[in-house]
Amino acid sequence: MIYEQPRFLPGGDRFLTIEFGDELNLELNFRAQGLAKLIAEHQVKGIVEAAPFFATILIHYDPDLISFEDLKREMAALIGTLTTLDDVELDSRLIYFPAVYLDPWSAEAIDQYIEKINPNKKRDPEFVAELNGLEDAAQMVRVHSGTEYWVAALGFWPGTPFMMPLDPRCRLFAPKYNPPRTFTYKGTIGMGGGSTAIYPVDGPGGYQIFARTPVPIWDMSQKMEPFREAPHLLRPTDRLKFVHCSLEEFEAIERKCAEGTYQINAVGYQKISLKRYRAWAESLDRTARF
Amino acid sequence: MAHEVELQTAGNMWKVLVKPGDQVQAGDTLFIMEVMKMEVPHEAPAAGTVSAVNVAEGEEGLEAGFVAVVID
Amino acid sequence: MLEVIKPGLETSIQDWPGRYGYLNCGYPWSGPMDSWSFRLANVLVGNAPGDAALECQFIGPTLKFQRNTIIALTGADMQAKLDGEPVPLWQSIAVNAGQTLAMGSARLGARGYLAIAGGIRNEVFFGSRATFNKGGLGGMEGHALKAGQVVPVGEGQGRAGLKVKEAARPVIVTDKRWQVEVVAGPNDDWIDAAGHERFLATDWKLSSKSDRGGFRLEGPEWTFTERAYHKLPEHGSDPANIVDHGYPVGAINLAGQTPIILVSDGPSGGGFINPYTVPQCAFWKLGQSKPGEVYRFQVISVTEAQQRARDMAARCTPDSLE
Repeated sequence: MIYEQPRFLPGGDRFLTIEFGDELNLELNFRAQGLAKLIAEHQVKGIVEAAPFFATILIHYDPDLISFEDLKREMAALIGTLTTLDDVELDSRLIYFPAVYLDPWSAEAIDQYIEKINPNKKRDPEFVAELNGLEDAAQMVRVHSGTEYWVAALGFWPGTPFMMPLDPRCRLFAPKYNPPRTFTYKGTIGMGGGSTAIYPVDGPGGYQIFARTPVPIWDMSQKMEPFREAPHLLRPTDRLKFVHCSLEEFEAIERKCAEGTYQINAVGYQKISLKRYRAWAESLDRTARF
Repeated sequence: MAHEVELQTAGNMWKVLVKPGDQVQAGDTLFIMEVMKMEVPHEAPAAGTVSAVNVAEGEEGLEAGFVAVVID
Repeated sequence: MLEVIKPGLETSIQDWPGRYGYLNCGYPWSGPMDSWSFRLANVLVGNAPGDAALECQFIGPTLKFQRNTIIALTGADMQAKLDGEPVPLWQSIAVNAGQTLAMGSARLGARGYLAIAGGIRNEVFFGSRATFNKGGLGGMEGHALKAGQVVPVGEGQGRAGLKVKEAARPVIVTDKRWQVEVVAGPNDDWIDAAGHERFLATDWKLSSKSDRGGFRLEGPEWTFTERAYHKLPEHGSDPANIVDHGYPVGAINLAGQTPIILVSDGPSGGGFINPYTVPQCAFWKLGQSKPGEVYRFQVISVTEAQQRARDMAARCTPDSLE
């Protein structure tokens, strides 16, 4: 649901959360991103930083420069100027990520979990397929990889994307692990709720997992060109496309990334328009599946 | 001369590797504490026989300085 | 200037208020957990309150000084000895080149702070010297101190013999019970009345599976309002699941049924609700508490929390010295 009026919620003494709605909807993310952009442009006094998420924005402010009440008023006023979102066109990079779906590393992490934590866990690819009324894991792969993913936010870990599928025919849902896994390989691709993410480093995790990419999204060595300015690759408004590759290709790309010689495939001339996107999405048969 | 092995930190007792009567060498790990999701092993300061073990695996909320193991 | 002989459990360079400005890329603030003790240590040695200094956790380091300087120790008493002689806390002390400071186990409290005149001068990353140890950025080569490293320190204008007035020091509890301030929200409307009552009436135990990323609490189950159950599938199936959103620093994040207070190195966003948030004025209590100790939470307003932070900042100045 898109709220008529956004909700303003306090977070301790230095945070304001603004909720625009409570669903996974590009429109809501455009509002959050739009407000973040306005805050940066207007250099609102007292705002230290603003972090947009799917349907919300988290604002960090300095209470010595602006009170909570004044901040709410200023944000309400800025939000009022966002009504012409339809005409907004955002620059949007497209990045191709080679990926092995139904990969051995996710299988290993799932094996470990079943052995050590929960013997009753249904294997993730089949589980996601079943939950979403798909024929089998192969169809789940076609559906998951069939869309561009919109980077709605970065968070949780430096440079880690929170992503949503742009093609409504590729929406999938899955619960998170409970309790979470203690181990996931870096580069694993998975989903929880309605969102897809890539694990930036080895570590624990709760998403259903079924693919892996050799291209890093977080690299402190900063050897490859897109990492020059920061050790993280992605930004909100990026789109990702997972492109099937073989295990051999995976290993070759992994080696090149470690050497710093891999050419990350990023396309930088496109824009996304909410109006055009909506028209296209509404023209589709949402119940159709690849 | 008895050696009292004190806990180096607050935390939990993750593993106890000795019992009274065991012979230990200097440097042998006697027990491992857990704090901040990190393991803190405690070694025998000298060779000898374990005469007392005052901690148990799984014990929580232990204090630094507590005499956990005595070696004669 | 400062040679690391023994690194301690996890000793790291921090500055205050840490790394602001990159939350939207997922970089945590880091910074000291007990900024009250941290800032006073800096003030004692003539530094700006926010200058880079060391945070020592549970087991402190052994350090050798390569030149004369002024230092101060605050926070938890880690039984520090300078060339074998006990060093008092809350005072500025002269140290000579070649002397060794050996810190041991924290007895009262969990985190000790060591400030050196001139401030630590490690490499700045994204505007701050603070360490995000797990992420491998800031600090010394991205991490907490390691044996053999030499920590660079600036030239300072410290003076020995200064003391923090007793009334200006934080008082670490001796009965293992902490009263911790919280501000309701952002997601307090997801918890039902009984759940709120239970939260505030419980002695929440600090788990030893707690670190600078999150403080895990043990206690009773939470109960939810309709909103937690009647929601679109994209939120997730657990009542505590929400469409991924930002996590305020200090949020009490409800991971299923486990409350985890998100502290200095915690995640900036995720898919669980945050019914309450610990304000900055109470962080020092988190920083000084040990596993097994207990928190009893008290709700205060946003304005009251802001005033307490202001009061603390006013205390972390040379006016508190004698």
